[in-house]
Amino acid sequence: MDLLPTDEQNEITNTVRTQLAADFELNDLAERDWSASVLDGDIWQRCAELGWFALGLSEADGGVGYGLPEEVLLFEQLGRHATPGPFLATVLAAHVAAAAGESDLVAAILGGTARVALAEVEATPVSTAGALSGGAAPGGESTTRLRVTDFGGADLLLVLDGASAILVNAEGLEFSADTSFDPLVPLAVAAVDLSGERVVCDVNDELVALRATVLTAAELAGMAAATTDQSVEYAKDREQFGRPVGSFQAVKHRCADMAVRADAALQLTRLAALAVAGGHDDATFQAESARLVATDAAVTNAETNVQNHGGIGFTYEHSAHRYVTRARMRAATAGNRSSHCADLLAAPSPS
Amino acid sequence: MNLELSVEEQAFREEARTWLREHLPSEERPPEGAEMREFDLAWQHTLYEGGWAGINWPTEYGGRGLSDIQQMIWYEEFASADPPFTLNNSCTFVGNNHGGPTLIVKGSEDQKAEHLPRILRGEVVWCQGFSEPGAGSDLAGLSTKAVIDGDELVVTGQKTWTSYAHVADLQELLVRTDPDAPKHKGISWVICDMNSPGIEIREIRTMSHVTDFCEVFYDEVRIPLSNVVGEINEGWRVAMSTLSFERGTAFMADQVELAATVEELIDEARIRSDASGRAMIHDDEIARRLATARAEVAALRAMTIAGISRTARTGMPGPEGSMIRLFHGELHQRVYRLALDIIGAEAMRLTPVDGEGTWTGPYLQSFAYTIGGGTTDIQRNIVGERVLGLPREPKVPQ
Repeated sequence: MDLLPTDEQNEITNTVRTQLAADFELNDLAERDWSASVLDGDIWQRCAELGWFALGLSEADGGVGYGLPEEVLLFEQLGRHATPGPFLATVLAAHVAAAAGESDLVAAILGGTARVALAEVEATPVSTAGALSGGAAPGGESTTRLRVTDFGGADLLLVLDGASAILVNAEGLEFSADTSFDPLVPLAVAAVDLSGERVVCDVNDELVALRATVLTAAELAGMAAATTDQSVEYAKDREQFGRPVGSFQAVKHRCADMAVRADAALQLTRLAALAVAGGHDDATFQAESARLVATDAAVTNAETNVQNHGGIGFTYEHSAHRYVTRARMRAATAGNRSSHCADLLAAPSPS
Repeated sequence: MNLELSVEEQAFREEARTWLREHLPSEERPPEGAEMREFDLAWQHTLYEGGWAGINWPTEYGGRGLSDIQQMIWYEEFASADPPFTLNNSCTFVGNNHGGPTLIVKGSEDQKAEHLPRILRGEVVWCQGFSEPGAGSDLAGLSTKAVIDGDELVVTGQKTWTSYAHVADLQELLVRTDPDAPKHKGISWVICDMNSPGIEIREIRTMSHVTDFCEVFYDEVRIPLSNVVGEINEGWRVAMSTLSFERGTAFMADQVELAATVEELIDEARIRSDASGRAMIHDDEIARRLATARAEVAALRAMTIAGISRTARTGMPGPEGSMIRLFHGELHQRVYRLALDIIGAEAMRLTPVDGEGTWTGPYLQSFAYTIGGGTTDIQRNIVGERVLGLPREPKVPQ
């Protein structure tokens, strides 16, 4: 039993970190704020060539042959850099296509030529339940209203609905673009027939949902760590009253709390990845726990990070706000705090 | 990264489970006095006979020389054996978790040979003499003085917050041996015989009504110089290793037990109902707090395993232990606060601080978790300065 990454795993983290620093500079990406697609083909192609989408897929399925723990290391780094892009959709879609035996599709996804966007069923307001979902759309088909992120340039939608995951052909779909809370996570709504010809393949597998839960937790944990680092660095540099503000307990203690939250989220997410990958009895318990702890850590740390930066933290120019909105976007992805609380309470206790 | 237990560790778990089934006492622990001391030492001796004392201590001093992971497995098995008492709520705590581990890394061969086996066999009770009325968070500001006289130290002063002083045989005592040196450089860590002439012990009643809390007065108490652990005036460094054990592994048993407590609380919430007859677990707020508590004890366990993994590579617990201690202390309080919200009118009844299905006593006791062993403010300073590298608080000019 050992929760520290091996040298080989640290090598994965280092490679990803170096590449993200080179290709995904947040200030450069800001040019793409509120566009439909924030990552151009070249960058996405490079990610594909580096094998990032294939890390956790077996070699027999065309993957690199690692597992969920290594995917978690990738997503921690994506979270740390607040990297935009449909990484979760892509990694999950490759697993779904592999489970459905669609090897050509797996190859297209891993190669970066088939772009996937994440879609979830849009919740219906209680007062008009039934009016939006399942009703007759203009074409007369029975459609479901989906909330789609990273819709621009998508060839496929990965629709997550509980344990069910459906890959849908996105060609010719009409997206109604929304103003996204996070400028670098394009958001749209689309009405899609989930029973008809658009369905490419579907799987009903608890493992897909657990993978989504753990990878989202990893991204959130990475954000919690990054905002801790930002605050600590700033508290060492910024001087007021003739000394670094980090020497004052009020600031130091907030930083300490951020570090504790981030460490709790990181360690638990890694443990959850191992439990899920190993098929342990407590896999659901650990994954749901990780998701909750990481959500709270990412949101609270992002908010505290703005506060620690004072006026500069409130500016558009500083990246602190990007962690605030990204944490909220991911907290509302693949379930939300309420649904994960319920799932955790329903999980059997670990022996 | 892996969660797999080795064949040896798996066998160890089975062995622990079987042994506990046959040897775990069914009677509750006497809450105070000589009976309590006898109960704690008898249980320690039973553990020793069974091979469960000093699991991660070196074999040459009577330990089993096993890993911290095995120590944790033992705690997990103990907690899931449904014990009528908690492991750390014992007058053997300081010997097992402070004095012993400190001697292992800083003691002379004679000191180790004399004391370690007796701690493990349950022949001796240790207590702690660190805090003073004028030296709490500022521990290095302690003023209990020790003057060298021939081959003895003569100690005069006062210590406080000393659990079990009234039933203890020995004390890990911090004294000022050089009043002229900078405050961290004039301290020594000594072993004090609690039966020495000149020692007076007074009990301090706590808010949880526990009677094992004491203050200790020293009036020219003579302690052999051979009882100094480490060098004279090097006591601060020795004390830091004592505290690193406290922050690293000493509370592992509590942390494991807290996970069992949360599960017990979920069961309570399924049984207990509110005024309308609805089970408490169907109250959304209670449900969310229970889920959060479950998630957070899972995080505590992951942090503990990560801490063990780090210690396995470095040999000594690092300052990261303060992160675990801080998280644990506040989580422990949140859990018992939640418990009182769940049990409804039961919360009007005082119950013992230890034992099964008791909530109000442990709630009162939980306030100690963010004060003892360094307040959470001190833990946050340690995390900020030693883990994150933030600058120290500026010194106030004298």
